[in-house]
Amino acid sequence: MKSLSPLAYVPRKGPLQSAGLGPVALYLGAYLVICFLSSDPLVLIAATVGAALAGFGAHAGRAVGFSLRLGAFLAISMIVVNGLVTSRGETVLMRLGEWPVLGRVDVTAEALAAGTVIGLRAMGTMVVIGVWSACVDPDRLLKAMHRSARRSALTATLISRLVPLAAGDQARLSRAAGLRGPGAEPVGKIALAHRLLAGSLDRAVDVAATLELRGYGQAVPVGASRPARSRFDRRFRIVGSILMASAVGSIVFGLPGLATYPGFEYSPGPVSVALAGLFAIGGLATWQRGRGAGGRRN
Amino acid sequence: MADATESRPRQPALSIEAMGYRYAGAPIRSLDDVSLTVEPGEFVLLAGRSGSGKTSLLRAACGLVPHFHGGELEGRASVAGRDTRDFGPGELADVVGYVAQDPETQVISTTVAGELDLPLRFRGDPPASRARAIEEVALALNIAHLLPRAVATLSGGELQRVALAVALVTRPPLILLDEPTSQLDPVAGDELIWLLRRLNEEWGVAVILAEHRLERCLAAADRVVSMDAGRIAFDGSPRTFLENAVHSDPALATPAARMFSKAGIDPLPVGVRDARATLRVRGIDADPTEEAEPPSEGAPRPGQGAGGRGPGDRTRSRASRFRLGLNRSRRYGRALTSKGLWIELDPGDGPLDVIRGLDLDIDPGERVALMGRNGAGKSTLLSAAAGLLEPVKGRIESPGGVALLTQDPGDFLVRESIGDELSGPAGEAALEAVGLDLPAESDPRDLSGGERQRLALAISLAGRMDGQQLPGLIALDEPTRGMDRGLKDGLSALAATLAERGAAVLIATHDVEFAVSFAERVVLLGDGELIADADAGSVLSGGWYFASEVNRVLDIPGVTGVGQGADRLLARIARRPVS
Repeated sequence: MKSLSPLAYVPRKGPLQSAGLGPVALYLGAYLVICFLSSDPLVLIAATVGAALAGFGAHAGRAVGFSLRLGAFLAISMIVVNGLVTSRGETVLMRLGEWPVLGRVDVTAEALAAGTVIGLRAMGTMVVIGVWSACVDPDRLLKAMHRSARRSALTATLISRLVPLAAGDQARLSRAAGLRGPGAEPVGKIALAHRLLAGSLDRAVDVAATLELRGYGQAVPVGASRPARSRFDRRFRIVGSILMASAVGSIVFGLPGLATYPGFEYSPGPVSVALAGLFAIGGLATWQRGRGAGGRRN
Repeated sequence: MADATESRPRQPALSIEAMGYRYAGAPIRSLDDVSLTVEPGEFVLLAGRSGSGKTSLLRAACGLVPHFHGGELEGRASVAGRDTRDFGPGELADVVGYVAQDPETQVISTTVAGELDLPLRFRGDPPASRARAIEEVALALNIAHLLPRAVATLSGGELQRVALAVALVTRPPLILLDEPTSQLDPVAGDELIWLLRRLNEEWGVAVILAEHRLERCLAAADRVVSMDAGRIAFDGSPRTFLENAVHSDPALATPAARMFSKAGIDPLPVGVRDARATLRVRGIDADPTEEAEPPSEGAPRPGQGAGGRGPGDRTRSRASRFRLGLNRSRRYGRALTSKGLWIELDPGDGPLDVIRGLDLDIDPGERVALMGRNGAGKSTLLSAAAGLLEPVKGRIESPGGVALLTQDPGDFLVRESIGDELSGPAGEAALEAVGLDLPAESDPRDLSGGERQRLALAISLAGRMDGQQLPGLIALDEPTRGMDRGLKDGLSALAATLAERGAAVLIATHDVEFAVSFAERVVLLGDGELIADADAGSVLSGGWYFASEVNRVLDIPGVTGVGQGADRLLARIARRPVS
């Protein structure tokens, strides 16, 4: 008997789980877009908070916690790496001399700040992916893909199964890493990630083979059922549209972010504050009014 | 006028002509000049050692070779008249079902019901028809209770049954199975084989079953095809196969056949029923005056509880501790102590008690097989012993340390060379302990299955040894999956060596014949509770499922091994009155 991975999908009744794939993709996609494109730390933090709130509202607290920890590790790695490899910036904090490969290493406050922005993007992205993985039924996604891309089982598999597969493999590999004797070479996160990536891709191909064996490549039968509509579709369509329009608008109209080189320049104006507030509050769309605490937590 | 169907020539379920196949980048061919025809309704057992080409043959028969695995293919294969070069696996899905070796890679859906529904939905079956097909296959495979479960929470055995159900749910005329019982307990394994036989007889489904544990399925087969180095080495009846195997490759022969061969009895039996019939005809069947095999010193007598000792009975424990303690490490006292142990897991639908009030002691130097049906709590107990799970009540201790090897040794191998995995004196000592002497620059991916397993065990042992002294408990979880008998014998010998050096060796296994060869003591779990704990001879005899084939033939308490059985048969022959 196995326990579930934190990122594994668990069937539950809830607005996010019940809504159609399109509205949910629009809603969570808006968070993904803002995380990818914004360079405003306030907005990125707010988007991460909003995505986490969305996860908590959907009772995917474990997935949110796991994603935050993983995202924090990535963020710290990016800050450190950017601090070491980028010597641009006016405010030199440390002069570390000549290093092999890297050459002269000066750690600047601007490079650390730029790394922080990249790290915040990674953390927000991880939380959005975690919420998607824990709350969106891969079966529904697979069925949707079968209608639109039935001849491409591999594509569908990579989209619908890679995250839960990687989560399962990660749990297994981490368990094995914890069982290594103290005299064996320790497994660092990079070695584990490398092994995980190689293994997960192999597994994804195996699953794609299984899909083919199940008859995935066969034509969609006439009259195949369309997905049922949900009363929550409208909510996510409206909130998702507002968030997506705000995200795209902020990029198109050039919302200023954190300028780092050669020196700091960051002055969040009312638009930044409003955008941040919008994304943070948008996370409450998954919450259900009057719902008791009877739902099982993930 | 003749019926149209009568005049039409009957298509073979599978036809392979002069097939050769090499995986991309592989130095040698996996299939070499293979020709095989399987008629509708045939039950074919595919035998052969690990790496002999069984899996490649099955992949070629369902179109995965070459469509998914690439490589170079010669010759042709056709399934129900469809050439696999022109039809991919998806287009063959309605005529062939395939169950691969690793059930974890065969999971697509979120829930078991969704998994069963998927191929029917892809085929375009209406909802009512899908519901009925799912219900029937779930009942047939005894997985109805699993239907609402998340597939991510299933054990290996449960996954294997689900994978088989998915392959059967569309009722294809040909089923290919690659070691479908490797993760099943003896009960589920036997039931699965006879279910396949029933499907074969009643529905006319042609079955090709690749399996290492031939004693489990030989009696159900019409025909045996044996592979060796990518070629078909034998193709004939099960009895002829055994006569061939006992001389050319005894590792492929069943325990009962080897016992008969040693005792000079003909013909060799293809199953327990056949063996008993032969003994009856020859007047050497069960002898009521025959005595049970005496248990080893310190072990309980048969009849003492379910298989000797029940929970709370300390007779064996004291005696064996005394006996074993004379020669073996006493640095830490007990290798494992569990008192009133309760472990709770959440499989996704709420917490569940998986281990329930377990009392268990294991002494240094003991070789213990941990058995029980799927979901009985074996893996959970090993995880708790290694400190991966916290008890909700009671305690479990292993003062000498625990080295645990989980089900897939590949999870331990993350680097490019053995030297990168294990270096320094601790690494060298661990490699020496498992008897692995390979160049440090060897790539773990190039090692054989047995070598990979030893390397993974060495990784688990490294640094847990005090000089040459092993940790108190070495635990392995289902290590014989996919192994032929030669590899299992190697693992038994390794376990014996480790035990002689003072470590208690605890192996969770479903393989009764492996337990006979490896264990001196068997602990049987049922639903998280201890239901038998005694010497191996007592537990592995007298039962219906957890008994060796030799014991099921002879029915003599304590007689479980081939050598013991042959000696008893020779004694019966000597006692038989000369006519």
